Amino acid sequence: MSSNTTSKTYSFHSPHDAAEYFLDQGWTDGLPINIPTETAVARFVEFSGRPGQDIIGVEPVKNREITLEKVAINAVMSGCKPEYFPVLLAAVEALLEPEFNLHGITASTMGAGILTVVSGPIAKDIGINGGISVFGPGHQANATIGRALRLFVINCTGSRSGEIDKATLGHAGKYTWCITENEDFRPWPNTSEDRGFKIGSNTVSVFAGLSPTQVSNHSSQDPENILRSFRDALFAAGPNQGEIVIIFCPEHVQSISRAGWTKSQVRDFLYETAVRSDTEWGFGSIPPGPKPSGSAMTHSALTPDSFTLLVAGGAAGAFSSVIPLWASGVGSNSVTKEII
Amino acid sequence: MVEEIKVLDPTISTSSKDSLLAVRPESLNGLTVGLLANGKKNSVEILQYVYEILREEHGLGISIEDNKGNASRPCPPDLLENLANQCDVVITASGD
Repeated sequence: MSSNTTSKTYSFHSPHDAAEYFLDQGWTDGLPINIPTETAVARFVEFSGRPGQDIIGVEPVKNREITLEKVAINAVMSGCKPEYFPVLLAAVEALLEPEFNLHGITASTMGAGILTVVSGPIAKDIGINGGISVFGPGHQANATIGRALRLFVINCTGSRSGEIDKATLGHAGKYTWCITENEDFRPWPNTSEDRGFKIGSNTVSVFAGLSPTQVSNHSSQDPENILRSFRDALFAAGPNQGEIVIIFCPEHVQSISRAGWTKSQVRDFLYETAVRSDTEWGFGSIPPGPKPSGSAMTHSALTPDSFTLLVAGGAAGAFSSVIPLWASGVGSNSVTKEII
Repeated sequence: MVEEIKVLDPTISTSSKDSLLAVRPESLNGLTVGLLANGKKNSVEILQYVYEILREEHGLGISIEDNKGNASRPCPPDLLENLANQCDVVITASGD
């Protein structure tokens, strides 16, 4: 039992009264919650094997110390199971790294969500979906891990809609956005391996993701023409992206890998194909500042390594996705942490 | 007798570490002001505009201008330190 809780305790006559109070206080995302009773929170703390008072990190702009207990409370509210808790703790650690710039991405008018990618065997163990309808509903681990991180942002950093969160539009991924890679169709190293972790490691990566753009190509099987389909989606993100995520569906990646292409070749091709003159970029004037013009050529990405390539989604259908990151992929750097 | 349900507060409402607001000056008259732009289009212009109003209406003294150059990132500590050493007050702004 968490009789040694450090959080303020409220008493209610019924779960309904408690849930209504939480909604009224703005402590939720607007959806119903599981109420964080002392007993429910204690189950998460006990699962971690650590004291609730452990400091997971400090939110660098507001200087708020984030305790394990606060993450547990928000995890209960979101509907997580205790076995998801190690993923959440690693994800919160990642969010608090200064280079991720959590305050910026959750305050900005640009309206980013937190794309959370869990890599390694733990994803299958706890039931994270990386296959059919990877961004869709129906999977408790995906739905509640992503939601817990949003509730953490709302309650522990104060970034709630209309207060610190001033997003012009935002997008549906701000409710919840947790996925894994499709291990059954992956011809390449996963994100964990790409980032220097040992094969078989469990990691979580966080990206300040803007709304995804679906890229369809059902008529091509050769890598060049499949990849050329991504140009317009990449142009929509603006020039000189420091980081940008591409989710390849199994159909596309199978065609690409059948031709023997490596991740590195795909990155090089995307970099070279998504380029246009400054005058063409200037039509949209996406970056703030004077409209670009002239015949000099500018790429959509800063370098070929700016592309993070993942494989996810169902086996049927030739639909991939481009996910631009907040502030041209330079205002926030994605962070990967090992899940302990 | 209905048993009460005890529920834990999910929020952190204040800074856990020391984080205090600077003492507010009683008057702006003759004070040196830092104008810290953030790199956004028009951020320098809006600061100048505000400065001119405060100078005319409240007698602000000289201004020291700087620009952190990146609206997306916190101000670099050395730049803040420099302004803190030279200025009595600092105004910062966004601009689009």
